[in-house]
Amino acid sequence: MSGKRKRRRIFHAVFYSFAGFLFLYSAYLFLSNLDQLFVTEAAIQTREITSWGDDREVLNQFGGGFWKDPYFWKSLNLTVVITLITTLIASMLGIPTAYAISRYRIPGMSVVEILFSSLIVMPGSVIGICLIVMFNYGPLWKLQNALGFRFAHSIFPGMVIASLVLSFALGLSAWKAAFDSVNPRFEHVARSLGSSRWRAFRTVTFPLAKGGIIAGIILAWTRAMAEFSAVLFFCGTFHELPASRFSDFTRLLQMDQADWVSVAVWAQVEFGNIEYAFALAFVLVLIGGMSVYVMHRIGAKGYVW
Amino acid sequence: MNMALGSRGGWWPALCVGTAVTIVAVYLLLVASNWIYLGWHDTLYFFSKSRMWERFWLTVWTSTVSTSFSLLIGIPSGYALSRFRFPCHHLVASVIDLPIVVSPAVVGAFLFGVTTRFPFDWISEYYGVYIGRNVYGVLLVQFTVTAAFCARLMKASFDMIPTRFESVSRSLGASPMRTFFKVVLPMAKNGIIASMIVVWARAAAEWEGLMLFVGATEGKTDIMPFAIYLDWNGGMMGWVTSMSIVCILMAVSAITAMRMIGGRSNVW
Repeated sequence: MSGKRKRRRIFHAVFYSFAGFLFLYSAYLFLSNLDQLFVTEAAIQTREITSWGDDREVLNQFGGGFWKDPYFWKSLNLTVVITLITTLIASMLGIPTAYAISRYRIPGMSVVEILFSSLIVMPGSVIGICLIVMFNYGPLWKLQNALGFRFAHSIFPGMVIASLVLSFALGLSAWKAAFDSVNPRFEHVARSLGSSRWRAFRTVTFPLAKGGIIAGIILAWTRAMAEFSAVLFFCGTFHELPASRFSDFTRLLQMDQADWVSVAVWAQVEFGNIEYAFALAFVLVLIGGMSVYVMHRIGAKGYVW
Repeated sequence: MNMALGSRGGWWPALCVGTAVTIVAVYLLLVASNWIYLGWHDTLYFFSKSRMWERFWLTVWTSTVSTSFSLLIGIPSGYALSRFRFPCHHLVASVIDLPIVVSPAVVGAFLFGVTTRFPFDWISEYYGVYIGRNVYGVLLVQFTVTAAFCARLMKASFDMIPTRFESVSRSLGASPMRTFFKVVLPMAKNGIIASMIVVWARAAAEWEGLMLFVGATEGKTDIMPFAIYLDWNGGMMGWVTSMSIVCILMAVSAITAMRMIGGRSNVW
């Protein structure tokens, strides 16, 4: 009996140690970099040479003095507002699409599933290049010229489009799974009792699929927050542009001369402001960690990134 | 009777199907735009260059190596996450998921900070293996992202197997290890192979971390998605679009292979 218990304990220890390795690796990766927020004397010395901008004293504080910098707050504002708009558009388009894919026989369905699944494992740089090529050449480019209006390198349509591509694909898989898990029989019963199709959806299927739909919305938002390469390729950075390039509306919303947060991390590392970059990065880690914790708590069983 | 538009409330299925068809058309245009831009003749020209295939093989072998390391860690930890219940398991699962949930560029910045520290500086001092601006850095970036991804997919694969079979095997006197290797692994085989393919494709798609952590060395660290970025900065649109086509083909063929095996890309 004791031999069995010992073997069981060894078994548990082996499997726990692999999971524990991953846990410790991830925790070490993120927590050990907390000291990057503190400015060292060497960083101050090098910054004198490679400095940019006017106020270099602010950068020599903890985390590059990020809480005093309007750029930080504007970037955060920009990213959160644009991701919320993206999530809204993705759910408005994605929930009917997921319902159609889940319920109706559309020819070529396997092609559609392969398309949306492969978007998830496609490199972000390819998505960005596809967007650039799609909007900056050919008929869409002529259309933009006729309208006097640009999709690429703009805040409002540009960033929304760039973050929408993958956010929609991720959300769609979640919503489709949510509708797949609801038995179509209930809907048929509601229909046979005299409901219209819309009413059957609204009063029967939608409440039953609600948990999965909410999980999909959180998933779409998290993916939009994690977007990097599509925004980098399609929109670029806005911090260096003159204030006159931004419209009054953008300035009113406090979004002028601000960047997508993860693009800002990259830009600040390239500029040499490591402390500032890590302050932005820790904000992203906090947001991502909280949303994934919520997803685990509400029992969103799995997702593919 | 089954006519969608004929019956009451029939606008709803019509709206759903219309949205779906429009969205699929837009996404197909998005994926096909590189071919439309480049044209058949130029595609053949760039595909016949050796520079393309050097990058392709670099991508293939780095992602294969990092996928095998991720599988080594990911299969047992996915099983542990799937079967064992321990305090704060939501928190532990969230921390394990962090490298895939935050933006990959941020992961690159964090790896940049961590490789100057304890285990890595020790490795470079005693074993002379420098992990940073070389191909080991590429492998580390790919491993960091795909290990978490792999654990998540494996957890989903093991979740689909009922625990009943294990209980039966245990009650018949098999040890836990024997149960795992003789009952659980053979039952999860299809799911594991399907997940392996997805993990491989994800490793081949990882490049954002390389931007901050590894940097570009021509022919050594520029795997295909990263080379797209570098050539785009160099203004070489022909190379950029032709390499995008190769990446799209890699992703699509990996997903097709996974579906033929019978796996699912969404693990709900």
